[in-house]
Amino acid sequence: MEIFVLGFFAIGYLVLAGADIGVGMALPYLGRSAGERREVIAAIAPFFLGNEVWLVATGGVLAGLFPRLEGELLHGNHTVVVTLLVAWVVRDMGLWLRGRLPGARWQACWDGAIVAGSWGLALSWGALLSHVLLGIEGPVALLPALVIAALFGTHGLTFAALRLRGTLRARAAVLAGGAGEVRTYALTSVVLVVVGVLAGLRLPLEPGTSGPLLVPVVLTLIPFLVAAQAWVWWTFRHRVSGPSYL
Amino acid sequence: MDIVDLARLQFALTAGAHFLFVALTLGLATLVAVVQTRATLSGDPVHLRMTRFWGQLYIINYAMGIVTGLVMEFQLGLSWSGLTEYAGDVFGSALAIETLVAFFVESTFLGLWIFGWNKLNRWAHLALIWVVTLTAYASAFWIMVANGFLQNPVGHVLEGGRLRLTDFGAMVANPAAQVAFWHVLFGAMIVGGFFMAGVSAYHLSRRTPEQDLFRKSLRIGIGVALPALLLTATFGGIGFESLQPAKAAAWVNDAERLAAAQAEMVARFGPGDYLPPVGAVQAGGITMLTLFAVMLFVAAPSFLLMLVRPVVRGFRVWHWLLTLMIPVPFVTMLAGWVFREMGRQPWAVYGLLTTSDAMSPVTEGQMVFSLTAFVTVFAVLIAVNYWLLARQARRGPGAVALGDRPVDAPVPAPSF
Repeated sequence: MEIFVLGFFAIGYLVLAGADIGVGMALPYLGRSAGERREVIAAIAPFFLGNEVWLVATGGVLAGLFPRLEGELLHGNHTVVVTLLVAWVVRDMGLWLRGRLPGARWQACWDGAIVAGSWGLALSWGALLSHVLLGIEGPVALLPALVIAALFGTHGLTFAALRLRGTLRARAAVLAGGAGEVRTYALTSVVLVVVGVLAGLRLPLEPGTSGPLLVPVVLTLIPFLVAAQAWVWWTFRHRVSGPSYL
Repeated sequence: MDIVDLARLQFALTAGAHFLFVALTLGLATLVAVVQTRATLSGDPVHLRMTRFWGQLYIINYAMGIVTGLVMEFQLGLSWSGLTEYAGDVFGSALAIETLVAFFVESTFLGLWIFGWNKLNRWAHLALIWVVTLTAYASAFWIMVANGFLQNPVGHVLEGGRLRLTDFGAMVANPAAQVAFWHVLFGAMIVGGFFMAGVSAYHLSRRTPEQDLFRKSLRIGIGVALPALLLTATFGGIGFESLQPAKAAAWVNDAERLAAAQAEMVARFGPGDYLPPVGAVQAGGITMLTLFAVMLFVAAPSFLLMLVRPVVRGFRVWHWLLTLMIPVPFVTMLAGWVFREMGRQPWAVYGLLTTSDAMSPVTEGQMVFSLTAFVTVFAVLIAVNYWLLARQARRGPGAVALGDRPVDAPVPAPSF
């Protein structure tokens, strides 16, 4: 059961946050002007906060249910994890800060932070997953990392095609081809799930001793957590029709 | 500096930065929730503008709280895997519950509150800010349960070189957690109260528009800060009675008691230096108590002054004093935290695991890399954020984007 709980949150993160990371990676391609970029960001704005908490929860589940694995996984991939965290912070601050001032240079600077942070996140995930999945480290890991980054990028572009309209939607649909946005999004989601499951199978998933106490608590909570997120997705289900708060 | 010092410095800077932001988050969330309740009940436009203005400042601050917090969460595994391996089965449960019960819900609902403005039913929108506030308290509570365990480990047994949780209730009821939680929570109300009063006083002294809004805000700020000061001191006083012997001895710098604490530890754990740095512990404690007195001397007369409307409008010297007071609760909080955490040294888990044994097996190069990376990024972001917070506070409610009606709103089409 411990493994199910960890997998639930980790894979939930890959599929949900994978989309907003991908949109961040494609921001220069999708949004050619400042106004367009703001509209592209509006496509993920209500969701990214709720998406990234899946990784915070994964960290919490690791600390509570797999404390030994937490240490091995994090300090064993020290450089990659530090890079991942810095990229995460830079990207988040880019999203929060870009709209705080009206200046064009200010916004371009934080748009840059969003793009660099999104790429940094995707490549760090790629490096981490290629280490776990294939045992590859160092510069060679850049190759599988690029594959994972391409996966995030495709997933994000398809999500953008689902959320945007007009020219922006047509631009985002470039990879969906004739298959349609929904079907492509389902496909990239399945691939992310498979990657997550395979990575999980390669990890030494030996639970600690607090499972009997913690697992029932978490299983009781999951329906409430999912319901809270479902409310967000339902509230913002409409296609983006203009800039949002960010 | 050796590698343990580098790791401690890294954690101290991250936790200290995080602490600065979450303290204001806790306090401001409460104040925003109260103001929004009044706005929703009365439909008064002044209270609605107050909600948007203080809510905007709350969000600027919250974002920084998140990013420092997530770096802190992952630092446990990065730098302190000795601690998570040894005691993770016990205090890791509190961290897991914190992320799931509290943080997950808090962030999800905060997103809904921010972006759902003018979109959701106003009662649902009000309920959201209360859920956000209460889950923020829950977050602080479970973090203090984890920290309380490190201060005063209870409810566990040692099995095969690792701790196992045997009594969850004892861990939650741990006085080192309970007392500290209330102390920190009311401390956060002081931070929020002085912040609201100080920013309002600035606008009143400058005679900016919205005098009515800031007169009301000033009264709420002082009205919260004074009782919070008394409650914080009460719980702090209770906490003082149960300090670890070495921390208590270092606080009074009593050579005899320090020697006794050292001798007792040597008898239990073998030779070694088991005393915390006396200077840091004393400096932390004295700063905390002195600034508490300063805040009390300002808040108590302010409580009387704010009852007289012409004074609230026109007493400029008092306005300047209140504005100058904004940073004081922050410094007090950090000083108290130095007192609590430095006084626990050299233990990561008091009496069970030393800080140096809690380190991860990482190289000095790795530690220097992560320290440099985090410090650089945080230094820039903290500076930018405080500048933005000050700018937004100075510009007043006219410049708030939060809760603005969308520019154009064509017929929406579902995207999924």
